Amino acid sequence: MSMFPPPTPVVIFCGKGGVGKTTLSLALGLRYARAGRCVLVVSSHPLPELAVSISLAGLKERYPSAVANLFVVHIDPREILGNKVRQQIPTEFLARTVLSSRLYQNLVEVAPGLKEIAFLARLRQLADGKSQDADARRYDLLIWDAPASGHFLQTMKVSRNFDTYLSGPFAVLGKELLHFLSDTGRIRILPVAIPEEMSVDETIEMCGVLKQELAMPPAAFICNMASPLLSAPEDVYQEACGGFGPECASFPDFRFILERHTVERKLLRRLCDGVPAPPCVVERVPRYGSDLELLDGLAESLGRNLSDVA
Amino acid sequence: MHIRIFVGTGGVGKTSVAAASALKAALEGKRCLVLTIDPAQRLRTALNLGQGGLEQKVDLGSLSMAGGLWAGLLDAGATLDRAVHLYGEPEQAETVLKHPVYHSLRQSMAGMQELMAIERIDQAITDRFEYLFIDTAPSRHAFEFLDKPEFFAELVSIPLLRFVGKTYKWLEGSILSNLGRKSVELYAKVEELLGANLVRQVLDFYSVFRTIAEGYADRARRTSRLLHDPGITSFTVVTTPFKAIRDANYFLGELDKRKFSTGTLIVNRIWPEVAAMPAEGNGSGRAGSLVTWYRSVSEAHHRTWDRISGEFASRFPTMLALPELARDVDGLSALNQIARQLAALDQQPIDD
Repeated sequence: MSMFPPPTPVVIFCGKGGVGKTTLSLALGLRYARAGRCVLVVSSHPLPELAVSISLAGLKERYPSAVANLFVVHIDPREILGNKVRQQIPTEFLARTVLSSRLYQNLVEVAPGLKEIAFLARLRQLADGKSQDADARRYDLLIWDAPASGHFLQTMKVSRNFDTYLSGPFAVLGKELLHFLSDTGRIRILPVAIPEEMSVDETIEMCGVLKQELAMPPAAFICNMASPLLSAPEDVYQEACGGFGPECASFPDFRFILERHTVERKLLRRLCDGVPAPPCVVERVPRYGSDLELLDGLAESLGRNLSDVA
Repeated sequence: MHIRIFVGTGGVGKTSVAAASALKAALEGKRCLVLTIDPAQRLRTALNLGQGGLEQKVDLGSLSMAGGLWAGLLDAGATLDRAVHLYGEPEQAETVLKHPVYHSLRQSMAGMQELMAIERIDQAITDRFEYLFIDTAPSRHAFEFLDKPEFFAELVSIPLLRFVGKTYKWLEGSILSNLGRKSVELYAKVEELLGANLVRQVLDFYSVFRTIAEGYADRARRTSRLLHDPGITSFTVVTTPFKAIRDANYFLGELDKRKFSTGTLIVNRIWPEVAAMPAEGNGSGRAGSLVTWYRSVSEAHHRTWDRISGEFASRFPTMLALPELARDVDGLSALNQIARQLAALDQQPIDD
């Protein structure tokens, strides 16, 4: 037995905008927090006020024990860089001068890879329990609610190719990050797609880059917002539809159900063929009174189909 | 000239709605241009879109019209490349296009297609389009470009960079000696923090990029005035039932903050109502629960719409509900379906 606890696993939800990455991150977080594990959900959405379409209101009443175990944090790379400047510059006045100078601001904005490295460094710090914050703690699980596909891939690419861009203190950081992200036993990438053409195509393309260019193959992929019986064998579905009898076929409402199923099934097949990882189909939660109920429904669905992710 | 700008978060169908709105106006006889950012493959084919090239006329087949529909792709990278060629000397342009900082700048603009839209609007006016429909990226930049048309000008107006831009090539070793002491200290500090190489790279880049950016910024200032004229420009917020309340509030706030007159709110992808099926009761349990499931989703969507149309009635002059289409329709006919929905809604203002 080792004296050291095993490294904190990091689950990454990535995919196109609007597919439910934030909601799934919170659902998975809630699931593990309820089971007594200390979970941190990290978001890096450029519009934090819009990222969380759901609230954790009522958590305390419903799951008093989970409240103590679930943490959510938003990380802005500009803020991390700002803190670094403050650490290195002795007086607050001088630090403020540097931070408020347009030279600094513009450099940070366009310097290649700088914001990405800063973000990943912070992520690793949190995962390793080495944060210098006063309220720092050791988490049993870290969940990164990653930015939309393009920016996510850009961030991962920087971690591979940092030395083409960077020198100075950030190059050293970059080298350390490479080790962190290469640990496939610890980093679990979970691409999320919904049964819609653009999302499916983008996910397949993203997984190709992850596997071939970055050697970071996804652990599984999630098909979110699926209709019922999407993952059931086709004959089970046909049997269910058979229960309606032929007179239903002329009902336009029923046609919507059938057409929707056909389209979703075609897209799920395309996903399964195009993504080199096992599928996890998560059904759309049709009815929920509160956001917490929605998270509960999703957590259950994730638990059924994604048992050993962390 | 009328400009309609479509804003909204990711995955709400902004692009389809923008394109369908353009198609509707074209069918009413207007000469229209739609500028979109990242359409799905089938929509791309339907709109005859290539890779970031100039706009193409859309072949509408049997849909006759007097006006006409043109479509173009707003590709930030491609537009920036074109600007570099347009405003730079050939030699300058080569250096810029190959520079690592340029690639980083290009990357950081992945969500700044709107900035590029400014350039295209200028061109569209010259080309005598009556209606312009602009799709925006789902990011903070959607509004940033309206706040900061002078983005490029700002980037190059930092005194140090300006100075470096003028003298960098032949004064490389002694730049700092010509600056005030405060600037030197600041420069040294930033260099220490970010690494000398990195800072050098950025400065080196701007020494060449400067003239290019200034030419671009001039044009941006000119065209952005149009976007601030409520008689010319109106905004449409597109959302879906799941995000509707939050999105409507957020975008209203952003529009108000900038004193834009609020235009239309579109709640897209509302699932059709599911009526009782004759066999629902006596079918297998599975069939019954399948129908119940679809009805639950649909009812939740309609409840959201009822709430939205009540709560926001005084804040959006126009509010529209668009149904989810069965997705298995080809690009252009899908657009035509949405366009007809929009036309039908024109006739009957909501008052329930």
